[in-house]
Amino acid sequence: MHTYLCSAALVAVLAAPAFAADFKFAVTTDPQTMDPHAVNSAPVLGFLNNVYEGLVRRGKDMSIEPSLAASWEPIGNGEGWRFNLRRGVTFHDGAEFNADDVIFSYERASHEAADVRSWFAPVSSVVKVDDFTVDIMTSAPNPIFPDSIANWMMMDSGWAEANGAARPDKESGNYATLNANGTGTFRITAREPDLRTVLEPFGGWWDTAEHNITRAELTPIQNSATAMSALISGDVDFINPVPIQDITRLQQNPDVNVIQGVEARVIMLGFDQQAGAAESGQGASDLFLDARAREAVAKAVNVPAILQTIMRGNAAVASQLVSPAMRGFSEAVTPYAHDPEGARALIEEAGIAGSTVNFKCPNNRYLNDESVCQAVTSMLAQVGLEPVLNAMPVQNYWPELRADNFDMYLLGWSPGTLDAEHPIRFLGSTPNGEKKLGSWNFGGYSNARVDELLPRIQSEIDDGKRQKMLDEVATIISDEVAYVPMYVQPLVWGARSNIALTQRPDNFFILRWVTVN
Amino acid sequence: MLSFMLRRVGQSILVLLVVGLVAFSMFRFVGDPIDNMLGQERTLEDIERLEQQLGLDRPFPVQYLRFLEGAIQGNFGVSYRQGREVSEILLERAPATLELAAVSAVLAILLGIALGVYTAIRRDGFVANFIMSTSLIGVSLPTFLIGILLIYLFSVELNWLPSFGRGEVVDLGGWTTGLLTASGLKSLILPSITLGLYQMTLIMRLVRSEMLEVLRQDYIRFARARGLADRTIHFRHALKNTLVPVVTIIGLQLGAIIAFAIITETVFQWPGMGLLFINAIQFVDIPVMAAYLMLISVMFVAINLIVDILYAFIDPRLRVAGK
Amino acid sequence: MTDVTETPAPTRLRRILDSDLFYAFRTSPVALISALVTMFLILSAVFAPLIATTNPFDPASLNLMNGFTPPMEPNAFTGENFLLGTDDQGRDVFSTILYGMRISLFVGVTAVVFAMVLGIVLGLLAGYFGGWTDTIIMRAADVQLTFPSILVAMLIFGIAKGITPIEYRDQMAIWVLILAIGLSDWVQFARVVRGATMVEKGKDYVAAAHLIGRPSFAIMIRHILPNVLSPVLVIATISLALAIIAEATLSFLGIGAPPTQPSLGTLIRIGQQFLFSGEWWILFFPACTLLALALSVNLLGDWLRDALNPRLK
Repeated sequence: MHTYLCSAALVAVLAAPAFAADFKFAVTTDPQTMDPHAVNSAPVLGFLNNVYEGLVRRGKDMSIEPSLAASWEPIGNGEGWRFNLRRGVTFHDGAEFNADDVIFSYERASHEAADVRSWFAPVSSVVKVDDFTVDIMTSAPNPIFPDSIANWMMMDSGWAEANGAARPDKESGNYATLNANGTGTFRITAREPDLRTVLEPFGGWWDTAEHNITRAELTPIQNSATAMSALISGDVDFINPVPIQDITRLQQNPDVNVIQGVEARVIMLGFDQQAGAAESGQGASDLFLDARAREAVAKAVNVPAILQTIMRGNAAVASQLVSPAMRGFSEAVTPYAHDPEGARALIEEAGIAGSTVNFKCPNNRYLNDESVCQAVTSMLAQVGLEPVLNAMPVQNYWPELRADNFDMYLLGWSPGTLDAEHPIRFLGSTPNGEKKLGSWNFGGYSNARVDELLPRIQSEIDDGKRQKMLDEVATIISDEVAYVPMYVQPLVWGARSNIALTQRPDNFFILRWVTVN
Repeated sequence: MLSFMLRRVGQSILVLLVVGLVAFSMFRFVGDPIDNMLGQERTLEDIERLEQQLGLDRPFPVQYLRFLEGAIQGNFGVSYRQGREVSEILLERAPATLELAAVSAVLAILLGIALGVYTAIRRDGFVANFIMSTSLIGVSLPTFLIGILLIYLFSVELNWLPSFGRGEVVDLGGWTTGLLTASGLKSLILPSITLGLYQMTLIMRLVRSEMLEVLRQDYIRFARARGLADRTIHFRHALKNTLVPVVTIIGLQLGAIIAFAIITETVFQWPGMGLLFINAIQFVDIPVMAAYLMLISVMFVAINLIVDILYAFIDPRLRVAGK
Repeated sequence: MTDVTETPAPTRLRRILDSDLFYAFRTSPVALISALVTMFLILSAVFAPLIATTNPFDPASLNLMNGFTPPMEPNAFTGENFLLGTDDQGRDVFSTILYGMRISLFVGVTAVVFAMVLGIVLGLLAGYFGGWTDTIIMRAADVQLTFPSILVAMLIFGIAKGITPIEYRDQMAIWVLILAIGLSDWVQFARVVRGATMVEKGKDYVAAAHLIGRPSFAIMIRHILPNVLSPVLVIATISLALAIIAEATLSFLGIGAPPTQPSLGTLIRIGQQFLFSGEWWILFFPACTLLALALSVNLLGDWLRDALNPRLK
């Protein structure tokens, strides 16, 4: 007994200083750059939210809250927005944050070489009123503009210019690709791309720190079995994501917590709906020009069974292109019911029994994507179609879709603005290069009414009227079976049980909400 | 002799050019880098602009020539994914792979020779037969599965060894080494076993069969007749003569170890060149892929060249046969 | 092995049964057992449609709700029972292994035959003619060795994808594997055959055959080839095991057989995702089958090498 106590005390002493606030976390994809304007991807923006800050930021419940702007208000009748900047904020290198940095960051982020410049499409000009006031003018009234710039991060003009990084350079990289100088909670003390990135708290941060981390280290681990091993054996404190199938096993492990939530990403099936696609694309047919064929697929796919087995009860059925957590979610539509008999009848009616369906699927993009596609393949085969599944890595997948080599495909969509307008712009609009609309509408779905409603939704200030129009679009898309929404992808994080953290639906891992106990 | 060497060097350069050409033509099929470089909200013009910038819209021979031009000057371009010089990235990653390969090779050679000699001397013994049969298990399962099973057993269930990475490394003027820290050494164990297992089996079998052959030679019989101790015969005479072909094979296998490291590094998240290559494939990072392949080719071709020239020195008949 | 099954003439059979090789075979327990296991596995793969309880390659016959049924336990939703359980798609693991082994063996055997023919032809040419023929072939072998089979597979896969219509892509994956594995294996055969040919070429009987005006082709086939057959047989056996493993490795990297028609390797790739979640049977049974198959073929090859080596008698 005595020895037992002794050794227990010893363990406590040894463990306490070493692990108290040293935090190691692993993700699948390393953020490919430290430049907040160069690449518009979740791994980059999610990570850099710990280092850089925007005028506004999202809180634990995704609501917009003041950050580098202490307050903001609309100008006149929707000509733009005025932002009153926070005073006394410094960058990691000690430089003061002021209106010049906002102007500079606007020019940098809206530059042709910046990947995030589409955020500024509605902006006509940015005007410095005084050192701590900035007006952002929009070409049309834009009620959700502050929501759309939560990831627009402020960079110090002096630092960027001194280091030759005044413009983002994604292709050949520059100083800002490997180094960072934000105003955020943490500063980067070591950066080895694809190997490790080390963060330490920034002493001069303007806000009060909730975390107790003294050092955080990010390691990318691609193989999910390796990541699971690392978490279970305590080599890392946090992994994202946890493979769906391992949730139950992890929940039984007292050393580990599983944190689950619903992501903003909706997984859906898309169809080739362009006339003459059979001639343009390889192996594609005009099968899904007929709405009955699309409806048959909607009825044939047994989403609850997929969620029960492959997703192991960890995902929710989706009724539309956005999840219920998004702004502008429509209550007007419901999920398609599983009805194999109805599907068979529709297939008979449309005279497409036995037709080959060229079904494309990624196998490393979404959670269990290949398994889901296989299950969909069986379900279509059971109602009399002949699906040919072709699953491939994502680097081959997008070119294949762009080349129209499909009848049906799997797509996941997570709205960057967390608003129902976003998927309408990218997936619901008729593809139009000039207006930058429908750029992910691979199947070429087109409806004049949807195209007409979109600009009106974008500039409507009244929430009630806006929702009405969103409901109408959701109903049209659902009735015409433009897409078959299946489920909202779950968010599953794993952490050692001594870690307290907050999970946000956009899958951003915010270190300032982490405490190590 | 000189003309033979010159001809061989000339052929090697030709081989490298062909490798470059084949590798380069392959990239068009690996996928399209554009989608990884542009975000969700990209437009079709963005895609065209980037294609132009990267030179992907030019005809294939032009792209290849541009690559060769740079490669000759040691400039492999800039990684699409990391935005850094490829040569810089490769230099950073090389120590991890070379260390892993070296430790695996040493492990494979030492164990391989020891077990090979043992199984040859005790040719029909029970233990020797047992070793011979069980060693085949190691080559009857795919490497990735062996790696995953080792991690599961030693990291997850027993919690003895780290599950991934290199542990702590010490920087010795540009060369990072894990050989000087306890965690670095512990991290090496599982990956080097995984990587070295196949080569070990190979060397063991080779040593055994060579040894058996040497032991039948007349001079060994004479040595026995002279009453020399078995120990002396086995190690002073037999093993020494066995080693010549074994060393040749080991030289060739070194290249194979580095190539096979791709899979081991993926499973163990070992931060070497193999993992870099697999990541590069995933993100269609053409400059990195091209440079890695060229590096591996140079290594293989150089080893082949050295072996050939050495042979020519040892055995003049081969020089004639080559004509 | 092939001699045993393909010779109908009783006199030759007698000769084989009386041979030293067959005697050594009969008296070696390792050889006997591994031959039995190999034969058993090959036969169950060939007759898979007769033995298997379901056809796992027919998507219409699968019921997703049967997914993850443990071995010998009824499924919680459907109440169905499966000998070795089911995988994530509700496929019967037992049937899937049989069908998967069929694909693995088909890929392995075809790839080795392909590599063997290619290697023998190129090796004979290189060794017999020497000079530029030899240089070109052997430098090509260098290039080949430079490329890990993984890369060769990707290259071929990419090219094939560009030229085959979508309906044939699934079948194409198998042929790509065969071509990729075969192409990375021919060098070994070529090197052995080339070396032996160079030795034989210098012997008097070849010179004599030349003198009496026999064509080079006939000399190669009739005189030189039989002399190199035993090392070729040994390499072929060991290559078969290697090819089956290589197919599994390529599947791990995502360039193997399609998941709707999985090989043993693809099954292992799928199964390893469930290592932590407790559905051990999805990995365990295919892995055991692969181990049994590769091990018995390896042991057989190993034994054959010793038995055919006259200096070890």
